[in-house]
Amino acid sequence: MIELTIDNQKVAVEPGTSILEAALRHGIYIPNLCYDSRLKPYGGCRLCLVEVQGQRKLIASCATPVKAEMVVLTNTPKIAKVRKTLLELLLLHHPLDCPVCDKAGECKLQDLVFLYGASESRFSAVRRQETGLIDSPLIARTMSRCILCGKCVKLCHDYQGARAVNFIGRGFKTKVSPAFEETLDCEFCGQCVDACPVGALGSAAYRSRSRTWYEEEHATICPYCGCGCTTHLFIREGRITRARGKLGTGINNGDLCAKGRFGFDFIYGETRLTTPLIKKDGKHTPASWEEALTYIAKNLDTITQEHGPSAVGALGSPRCTMEDNYMLQRFMRQVIGSDNIDSIARFGHATAHMAIQQILGVGFHPIIWDAPQKADLILVLESDITSMLPVWGLNFIKAKNLGATLIVADALDTKLAKNSSQWLQIRPGSGEYLIKGMMKILIDEREPLRRQAAELPNFDAFVDSIEKFTPSFVSSLTGLPEQEITDLARVYADSGRRLLAITLGPSENKKGLNTLRSAANLVLLMGDDPATLQIPAELCNTLGMWAMGIRPLADGKDAYDMLYKGRLEALYIMGENPFVTFKNSELVELNLRGLEMLVVQDINYTDTARLADVILPACSWGEKAGTFMNATGDVQEMQRILPQTGGSLPDWQIFRDLARVMNNELCGIELEKIREDVGRLVTEFRQSAANPPAFYPVRDRPREAPDEDYPLILVTSDLLQHSGTLSVESRNLGSASSDAYLRVNPADAEKYNVSDDDFVRLSSRRGEVYVKARISSEVMEGMVFSPVHFPHVRIHSITHVAMYGEAPLDAVRVDPLD
Amino acid sequence: MSRLTLDSLKSLAESLRRERLEGGAQQHRAGIMLCGGTGCIAGGGVRIRDAFNAELKNKGLANEINVVLTGCNGFCAQGPVLTIQPDDTFYEKVTVGDVPAIVEEHFINNNPVERLMYKDPVSKQPIPFARDIPFFNHQILRALRNKGLIDPEKIEDYIAMDGYQAAAKALFEMTPDEIIAEVKRSGLRGRGGAGFPTGLKWEEAARVKAGLKYILCNGDEGDPGAFMDRSVMEGDPHVVLEGMIIGARAIGSHKGYIYVRAEYPLAVNHLQVALDQANEYGLLGTDILGTGFNLDIEIYQGAGAFVCGESTALMTSIEGKRGMPRTRPPQSVEQGLFGKPSVLNNVETFANVPLIILNGADWFRSLGTEKSTGTKVFALSGAVNNIGLIEVPMGTPLRHIILDIGGGIPKRRKFKAVQLGGPSGGCIPEQLLDTPVTFEDIVKTGAIMGSGGMVVMDDLNCMVSVAKFFLEFTADESCGKCTPCRIGTTVLYDLLKEITEGRGKEGDIELIGDLSKDIIASSLCGLGQSAPNPVLTTIQYFRDEFDAHIRQKWCPTGVCKELCTFYITPETCTGCGACSRVCPKKAISGEKKKPHRIAQELCIQCRSCYLACRFNSIKIGPRSMRDELAAQGIPEETAGATAAGKE
Repeated sequence: MIELTIDNQKVAVEPGTSILEAALRHGIYIPNLCYDSRLKPYGGCRLCLVEVQGQRKLIASCATPVKAEMVVLTNTPKIAKVRKTLLELLLLHHPLDCPVCDKAGECKLQDLVFLYGASESRFSAVRRQETGLIDSPLIARTMSRCILCGKCVKLCHDYQGARAVNFIGRGFKTKVSPAFEETLDCEFCGQCVDACPVGALGSAAYRSRSRTWYEEEHATICPYCGCGCTTHLFIREGRITRARGKLGTGINNGDLCAKGRFGFDFIYGETRLTTPLIKKDGKHTPASWEEALTYIAKNLDTITQEHGPSAVGALGSPRCTMEDNYMLQRFMRQVIGSDNIDSIARFGHATAHMAIQQILGVGFHPIIWDAPQKADLILVLESDITSMLPVWGLNFIKAKNLGATLIVADALDTKLAKNSSQWLQIRPGSGEYLIKGMMKILIDEREPLRRQAAELPNFDAFVDSIEKFTPSFVSSLTGLPEQEITDLARVYADSGRRLLAITLGPSENKKGLNTLRSAANLVLLMGDDPATLQIPAELCNTLGMWAMGIRPLADGKDAYDMLYKGRLEALYIMGENPFVTFKNSELVELNLRGLEMLVVQDINYTDTARLADVILPACSWGEKAGTFMNATGDVQEMQRILPQTGGSLPDWQIFRDLARVMNNELCGIELEKIREDVGRLVTEFRQSAANPPAFYPVRDRPREAPDEDYPLILVTSDLLQHSGTLSVESRNLGSASSDAYLRVNPADAEKYNVSDDDFVRLSSRRGEVYVKARISSEVMEGMVFSPVHFPHVRIHSITHVAMYGEAPLDAVRVDPLD
Repeated sequence: MSRLTLDSLKSLAESLRRERLEGGAQQHRAGIMLCGGTGCIAGGGVRIRDAFNAELKNKGLANEINVVLTGCNGFCAQGPVLTIQPDDTFYEKVTVGDVPAIVEEHFINNNPVERLMYKDPVSKQPIPFARDIPFFNHQILRALRNKGLIDPEKIEDYIAMDGYQAAAKALFEMTPDEIIAEVKRSGLRGRGGAGFPTGLKWEEAARVKAGLKYILCNGDEGDPGAFMDRSVMEGDPHVVLEGMIIGARAIGSHKGYIYVRAEYPLAVNHLQVALDQANEYGLLGTDILGTGFNLDIEIYQGAGAFVCGESTALMTSIEGKRGMPRTRPPQSVEQGLFGKPSVLNNVETFANVPLIILNGADWFRSLGTEKSTGTKVFALSGAVNNIGLIEVPMGTPLRHIILDIGGGIPKRRKFKAVQLGGPSGGCIPEQLLDTPVTFEDIVKTGAIMGSGGMVVMDDLNCMVSVAKFFLEFTADESCGKCTPCRIGTTVLYDLLKEITEGRGKEGDIELIGDLSKDIIASSLCGLGQSAPNPVLTTIQYFRDEFDAHIRQKWCPTGVCKELCTFYITPETCTGCGACSRVCPKKAISGEKKKPHRIAQELCIQCRSCYLACRFNSIKIGPRSMRDELAAQGIPEETAGATAAGKE
């Protein structure tokens, strides 16, 4: 530790700490405008100047590391004078917008001028005018207020890796702007908005809606992806006005993505349910809770008596709390006596779990938040991590900036590909073959490795299974030159600490169980710690839901059986919209309609709810207390912040009420006991056992192959702004990205007569949809890309489910509409 | 060209030297060393060379007389210039039309062409030989030693002048520590303006343990009025390369960049040719002279920003990013270009290094003062007779440079001030003309030595305007990163603009002084830290001019048009009409031999009359006089009369 004196106070900090950080950590405030703990020091605002004994000139404390025995003074008359002048200069051309500027009351410039500034200016100047309203979705830019602190530029460039804005012009005329002063078109993560110390950048949705002193601030956990970021909601009169990250809080340390920052308004969607509904004469009519619950109870009784408990199934929700999911499975197992419980994670996390516990012998495998920063070499396989788990994805960029080698193997030019050390553009779905090819090379070339691996079970069968994946064969499958494949294998094996990162969400189709198995085989082959393979749980409570036992534990049916094999009579769906989010939606629809009773418990009147016999309105995120377990396995608690919408109830409470109507003792359970049980299950979950590690010989499974009639491959995935079924209800997110679009490569566009922004017919062997096309060179020739969430397009009506662990890529054709 | 070894370099040098003495490979009896610097090229240098080649061929003299387009000769205002070897005849303001006369008279008839010779400004006598011209013979050439003597596109010429011998000595006979010790002892300080001891910089870089280090040459030369580095890069590019080899060896670097401003295309061109030729000869690249030492040098062109002459901004620019300076620590010697230890030296600094290695530190110290050793190249321009480049020992008094070498102020005007150090420097008044030119002495005046730009000003210059000019420059060139420079320079410029346009207020000077102090104290880089220097020194030494502008709304030199009134004193006016003849607005009227009068409503304050009057009868008064004079009406005797006469 280095000891120094700041303002006569002795402090001690680690070497490398700046004087500014040392001061702030010990409660000594040094004014600053351009400092951000996430970024390298900029030294532009000059407000942090201090006097250091022995130095003739004033020193920028943000950029100077502490030295032993340093004596620092932060508030001498000399410094005060300079600060006054600097603030005077900043205010000189700054528009006097405080009365109409959203930042008033929380503006750093206001605060600093109040503390250190002069009450009058000695100079006269022309104040900057807003040169026309620069309209972009979500981010309101009033650049006349910009004080050129550079935080937004540096965040966007170095931290987010998006590089959407930069300085243009020089000197006094410098501006922060997108290239060529065009309208801002970026990810709209909004990191720049939170960082801006003045009112130059703000949330467009928040513009002129409120004043900071009217709002209450509440910290909670974001309900979108598996990161589990802490987000601070601002509430005015019972409504959320905006959400912000706060540096230093949460696993995200104040970072948020577009969804976390702007997507909170999904709870104000137009289709919010406010009362139970029962289908009478083909119409959903409002009913009371007693009526609805009695209806359900009666039908469940009849069905279980006629067909047995195994005719009843349930879908849990990775978007609901652990308490909600716990009560669902308690209800099913205790009250109904059925083990037919599953969720959409069957097509996501369950796949990861199967591969990891089967091969690496680990039962509980959360991701490690800062694993990327600890790695020397990172291989990202066909995964757009900065769209799936955006804030975790930032760590990959941080790792690269710290010197790690980041290799991205992907057909798409994702943001990580753009920020990588090397981008291997492989054909969609060929990641599995690339891994197999790497393993073959390593087994052939590295004798010690082979000998060590041979001691593990199934080694010989495993070697047989990858025999044919020679460099030349893999080259023909991936489209990469042989040398690049060999180099990759060698670089991978020769590096220090490795990280192999893959996402597998239910909406993705470039990978399957066999891809993950191959990845696990590689980790096993290298003798690496199982944590080398990081496959994050997708949503805010996927892992928590899994811990609560939302999966068949005995011989119950899984989601595939329930929704594709049509083996149920009754299905209880909590917080899920299979009609839109599950693949092959025609088949799903068929099986849903074939049920005797379909109950949908949700916050919105979804497309699935349209088919239901009974609809129960549930409280949304924010309207109920509860806990989530994020992808790192941390349990995080949320308080209830908002009043419930209409007559909705928390999901866990609904099950207790249903138990009462069905005369089951579950109705007596207290919330305390629920929390206790949840805690116990979490502990058990964290100690999950698994089989001892063993290789798994992955058999080559045929995939849906393109042919003359369906010559293109359809790749589906999430977007940064939209990931499932909540985001489409957010008007904020919709302003950034509201239309489903099909990305088509320029060469293909010409070949198949597709024009930008035109509607096309996209068909597979299962059906057709109509969707808007967008020509983009971010996709390879021979492939098209589409997000899957927008209900009005329903891409899933033409997709299919993987049967044998293969990647369920769909062969499609694209035709222009005449 | 085959790769050289130490021995083959020495023997090549030997034979080339002999050849030169004997008139080159073709054994010419004379050489026309025609200046090919940017100025002379602009004046037609290439056409003149072609004309000479054609004429000599015509006259059958092509085998006897060699024509060489050399680098910048230094006497830029007299260009196109040439020197004839071996007799040392100097011709100036040569045109294509003069070529036949030179060939015929000088070479065939042995009759030098008097009308093309330099004339003494006072006696007007022709001075035929360069060695007798004060502009040349007062100089002591070290950095510019090859000036006018070699073809910059021929490495053989450089080798003949002991080129690369110093690099060979450094590589074969000296350790890096010994090189550093010698450069330290020589007292060589950076010639780019900061004056940091070069040996010390190299020592700090050598101390850092790292694989990859960079040796960088600052050829950005952004100061307006500075063209010393241009001349070296254009005229003697190899001396820069040789200096870099020695520096690279000292610090342990194998990769170098020369950052050249894009506005110097000839320098870029000649440097690239030099790089290619040095590489072919094995004097650069891998395994230099068979020593196993590698150095690869590349040129990187600037893109028009003065701030990219600042060391960290320069490195950021080479990295392909927006040229903005970085905070320090870390210092560049620890983390510079691409985060690696880097040493950046000025062109002229590198040009001095080979001589230090060849002749020793003591030899280098034999000129200059204790704290400022060696020589310095200055670019003398402005209101002085001999405009061009001069190299003099440090410690030479300013008076000697301006009046003796510079030949004094032309057109019988009076010296007023000399501006040193460009936009970072200051104006030195007459009372300080005896100041010796050293780092330590100049700084005492409030100015800095700077990179060598020396702009002489006479009594026709308005010091307030001068201050405004430099602030306009720095405000425009500010990168915009830090608050005080970005906004402060513009505010200072606005204040000065107000003063020069008649809206100055009491207290403005104090405000300028106060704001300047804060800008200097808080700016991130040297640009902001030194931008107020010109205005501060002009206020210090020419306060009365500022006061006149503010209090009386009066620009005594007549530069600030809003603040002057041109009027004729009838008592001394002889009515010669010289003024009315040159007035572009026909604003002056009067009978022959009777006092004339300037019509204020037509006068555009262009000063033509003021410059034309021989009788000191045109005065420049404050703005207020315009209205007074206009109110006085037009006296009867001059009403409607013109110089053509009308009774």
